[in-house]
Amino acid sequence: MTLSIVKNATCTFCGCVCDDIELHAEGEKIVKTKGACSLGESWFKHHTAERLYPDALIDGKPATVDHAVEAAANYLYDANMPLVYGLSNITCEAQREAVFLAEIIGGVIDSHTSL
Amino acid sequence: MIYWGGNPAECHPRHFTKYSLTQKGKFIPNGRKDRTMVLVDIRETPSAKAADLFLQIRPGKDFEVITALRAIIKDQPVNPKSVAETGLTVEQLQDLVKQMKAARFGIIFFGMGLSMTRGKHMNSAGVLMLAAEMNAFTKFVAMPMRGHGNVTGSDMVMRWSTGYPFGVNLCRGYPRFNPGEYSTVDLLVRGDNDAALILGADPGATMPQPGIDHLARIPTIVLDPKVTHTSRISRVHITTAATGVSAPGTVYRMDEIPLPLRPALKSPYPTDEEVIRRIREAVAKKPAWRPSPNGQMAIV
Ligand code: SF4
Repeated sequence: MTLSIVKNATCTFCGCVCDDIELHAEGEKIVKTKGACSLGESWFKHHTAERLYPDALIDGKPATVDHAVEAAANYLYDANMPLVYGLSNITCEAQREAVFLAEIIGGVIDSHTSL
Repeated sequence: MIYWGGNPAECHPRHFTKYSLTQKGKFIPNGRKDRTMVLVDIRETPSAKAADLFLQIRPGKDFEVITALRAIIKDQPVNPKSVAETGLTVEQLQDLVKQMKAARFGIIFFGMGLSMTRGKHMNSAGVLMLAAEMNAFTKFVAMPMRGHGNVTGSDMVMRWSTGYPFGVNLCRGYPRFNPGEYSTVDLLVRGDNDAALILGADPGATMPQPGIDHLARIPTIVLDPKVTHTSRISRVHITTAATGVSAPGTVYRMDEIPLPLRPALKSPYPTDEEVIRRIREAVAKKPAWRPSPNGQMAIV
């Protein structure tokens, strides 16, 4: 298996967002980190690109992403006061989409900041 | 440098070395030696070892200590009896104020130990006021110690898109902001919402039980790299790529510096961004609603 090295990678485990980390990736796993603290290291090693979970679940049963997206859109559209919550472990690009979505479904959008 | 209600040694391990305590700067050529670090907490955590001064206060007395400090910096009298209830003495606070005023550039990093105990938002507001008032004497700022990776980014994105940083209600078609009313815990515990979209969070493991019960009652949709506690009580779960490991994008550091991600792996799952966009596009195909005067949604 080939080893790929990513320099100056960014850790997003905690709010420090250290951007000077070297990652050694082999296939679906990160095998080595340089520069990260122990929390960051275990975070990087913990997340793999393996297919451990079904693509989507509807009512607990495996489903396709297409169906799940459709079901999600219906639930959110039908609701009078949907809540969009979380946002802390996703990218700014995704957060922007989330604000847009919250606007067109007429919902409340909130993050971990409110805790 | 004051850390208040936070334990960076264990929760933000590289905060000292990479950003705050030991780095050398243009005006502080000797790094750590040129800085004074104070830790205020209710317990002697491992971070206390790094501090020059550790002030142990009684649990839930943060607001009282902040208020006393705000009075002392303005040379106003404080009641030694009420100060004693906080676990500190007036002399300790006076000494702290002297050091704060002697600093050329002071900062208060405040953590969850401050913002999640008795007083909550008011404690954070108090620290911000204290830092603002210190500027009559020297340069002083305050900064929250953010837990999750991109929680700062969500503040930023919501700020420039809605005008408010969190807890924004768009039900009337325009943004309204009122923490305590539109914040998630309060909404869910009161049972106000009739659907929820959870993005990269696991309230099913962290919320108060009535909130979790409500999430289980209503249609909940979860986007997460893992099947979480919340996924188990949700109607729809979609697995997404892990931010930073296999999903690219931008995240904000806690001092509001945007940084690009450099993912090392390729995920078999779509990114959050992609899935949210697809849900948004699916909703956009349906007839748009606008709020009508009687508070009900009208389809236009
Ligand atoms: S490397 Fe450590 S300190 Fe830096 S962002 Fe990751 S978890 Fe935080």
